[in-house]
Amino acid sequence: MLEWLKYINKELPEFWKTYLSKFDKKSNRYVVISTETSGTNPHKDVIFSISAFAVVDDSIYIGDSFEAILLQYIFLHDNQLSNEFIIESKMTKLGETEAIKAFIEFIGNSILVGHHIDHDVEMINAALEKLDCGRLKNEALDIDMMHLKLNDITDKQFTLDQLSEIYKIPNSERNSSINDAYKTALLFLKLKSRLGIK
Amino acid sequence: MNTIVEHIADFLKEYSPFDHLTYPELSEIANSIRVVNLEKNKTLFQYNDVLHDSFYVVASGVIHLSVIADAEETILNKCHEGAIFGLRPFFAKNNYRMTAKAREESIVYAIPIAVFRPFVANNTAVLDYLLENFATNTPSSKDNENSRGSLISDTVFYTDQQSEMQYFQTLSYNTTPLTTTATSIVSEVAQLMAEMRINSAVICEATFPIGIVTNTDMSFKIATGRFPITVSVDKIMSSPVVTVPENVSLAEAQLLMLKNNVTHLCVTADGTNKSNVKGVISEHDLIVAQASNPGVLIREIKRAQNPKELKKIRVRLTDLVQTSIYKNIPLTHISNITSEINFALLKRAIELSILEMGSPPARFAWLSIGSQGRKEQMLLTDQDSILVFEDVATEKHREVKDYFVNLGKSTSLTLEKIGYELCPNGHMASNMLWCRSLTDWIKQYDSWMKTPGEKSNNLSSIFFDYEIVFGEQRIEDAISNVIFKNASNNTLFFDFLGNDALRTNSPLSFFKKFILEETGPNKDKFDIKTRTLMPLIDGARLFTLSHGIKGINNTYTRFKQLAISDPKYSEIYLNCAEAFITLSKLRTVEGLKNENSGQYINLEELSKIDREKLKNALAPMRELEELIKNKFQLTQFS
Repeated sequence: MLEWLKYINKELPEFWKTYLSKFDKKSNRYVVISTETSGTNPHKDVIFSISAFAVVDDSIYIGDSFEAILLQYIFLHDNQLSNEFIIESKMTKLGETEAIKAFIEFIGNSILVGHHIDHDVEMINAALEKLDCGRLKNEALDIDMMHLKLNDITDKQFTLDQLSEIYKIPNSERNSSINDAYKTALLFLKLKSRLGIK
Repeated sequence: MNTIVEHIADFLKEYSPFDHLTYPELSEIANSIRVVNLEKNKTLFQYNDVLHDSFYVVASGVIHLSVIADAEETILNKCHEGAIFGLRPFFAKNNYRMTAKAREESIVYAIPIAVFRPFVANNTAVLDYLLENFATNTPSSKDNENSRGSLISDTVFYTDQQSEMQYFQTLSYNTTPLTTTATSIVSEVAQLMAEMRINSAVICEATFPIGIVTNTDMSFKIATGRFPITVSVDKIMSSPVVTVPENVSLAEAQLLMLKNNVTHLCVTADGTNKSNVKGVISEHDLIVAQASNPGVLIREIKRAQNPKELKKIRVRLTDLVQTSIYKNIPLTHISNITSEINFALLKRAIELSILEMGSPPARFAWLSIGSQGRKEQMLLTDQDSILVFEDVATEKHREVKDYFVNLGKSTSLTLEKIGYELCPNGHMASNMLWCRSLTDWIKQYDSWMKTPGEKSNNLSSIFFDYEIVFGEQRIEDAISNVIFKNASNNTLFFDFLGNDALRTNSPLSFFKKFILEETGPNKDKFDIKTRTLMPLIDGARLFTLSHGIKGINNTYTRFKQLAISDPKYSEIYLNCAEAFITLSKLRTVEGLKNENSGQYINLEELSKIDREKLKNALAPMRELEELIKNKFQLTQFS
């Protein structure tokens, strides 16, 4: 509410303007995202990694994916955590600013999909705030909600592992955000066809 | 590169033709893959659809490829994990010639042709693989071991008769024939033939074939004494030898043999006798190539050296059952043949174990129990067996029992490799409980029959359907005697069996609707095994035991026999026999369709006629039930 007031005098970053301009058209691309964070508080905690796969026409495009490790020097330093494990890995490493920028470019006006996606969106919004940007404008779908709706359950929540078991998705031993994103994408395909979402 | 790409590349690496590619190449392919989820019964592409821009690899689930001819859907192939299909866009421009449909919820990888084409162009091994599989006619499952990594062709010129297709396939034959020179001595050649276990030797001059010696020559010319055994081989060889080129078809080979009145053909590089020898085709190869013939299967079982070979034969047996059912051969006939082959397989599995472990320390009998014992096993089901060994001195007992338990274990392992699942209740000879000496077994049967229900709630009626597979016939006879001695005038025992037979749930609800499974993985399906077949089987067993009919274990023949022995109710028995056949057939067809035991039937998939048949088959069951209630006063246990 009245959020626009806050930004009325500020010049928005260039990438954010481009992002906003994409919303003139409706998208048929879904982006399944998964983030790894240090906790659940959007203002105190930080994002460690973001992974995403694009889904178009009922299929996952492996090549159209996004994966970045965020180097959170300040957070790690403040909490006296080691960052060795990050430095060691082979994956793309970016500072938070670059990572968020690249991610915003990747998602464009697509519809976001995730498991308990409100949390992911909040974390990203908090990061965007630091960059003097507004909040994400994308529509968002939650696969847990889809599952609850499909089965008319109202009083329960399911973890990603539970859902994977229900829909018989093979469990990979390694737990990383890219694996979670892939599993979520498979779940999304299954739920999508069951719910008849186009 | 992300980990998912690695995962997919790892998956692809397991299967042909991807195993010809390097890891970076696979990663590049994996990176461009689309992952598609197919709901059950969802069609991926249809006959005459425009070609897709990619081909497909099954990641999980089963995809059926089928064509529709004469308004009948015929399944060409079932693609399992790792199978490739939809190769048509590689080689042809016109539309798909078949339909691909998900039999169960499946995930497939779509690999864009544009990405894959450069790898094909640069790698001849991959190209050859794809071409070969595109060019051959539908492979029947016998060719692809375990269906794993098999390719499915798209150029199907489907003819009605499967045998016709097989008729023009290329033959597989012995490509390492025994070659020898004209001056060799007959006895030496014969020795070599015996060692290599083949029945022919090609006589060569340099590397060109000039003649052939076969078993027939040996017996007609040497064994009759017309030539001494020390003569040189060129005196008795058949010359000139009939030569054929390498890619000869079955039909051609057969014609040549008939025309020239020979039993062996020599394969040469260019098909003349002025080129190198490549192999020998014998009559046996022709027989093997012709469909799945029961006689051939049994002969091959006897020759099989390891579980892998047996497994291939078992897969062909399924083909045989399938074609027989579609050709409407009577089910009793099919089940007779199937059980003979199953028995031969079991026997060979036991033999292989004995070969490995050394000869048994005592005489024994391996009995199949349950459906195998009744000779009603059409599809792959679980193994049920017991082992009885003769009584030995007490101090030796332990040692002997150890041997037989190990024999049981080793055999079950082999059977498991062939594809028979282990019995979930542990009714197997590998189980200490069911591998015992004759006296122990007699005691066991005594206690089951004299005090049924008492501490033997686990009494499985399957122990009363047994058939000897291997070993001493006399041991089986001894057991039969005990059972029939105990059975006469044993009302308590019959009460128990009678209650057991009636306990099963009725197949129809009060409103004459089929009762479907309410929970579990088979929700909304009809359990044809426990609701319809089991009561009939139990009933037949009960009556044969009470009438003292020996040696008939098959439910169908039991009812037939009962109709003769108990003419008063013969109509009921005959109806039951017919019902049993109808129900078994429904189950077998279902099992073949889903590649399982066919226990659960999806009624919605049945045609209206089949559903009526099913309903009609249930009527005799009620009559049988009444008959059991009348005949045995079921009071003690109810």
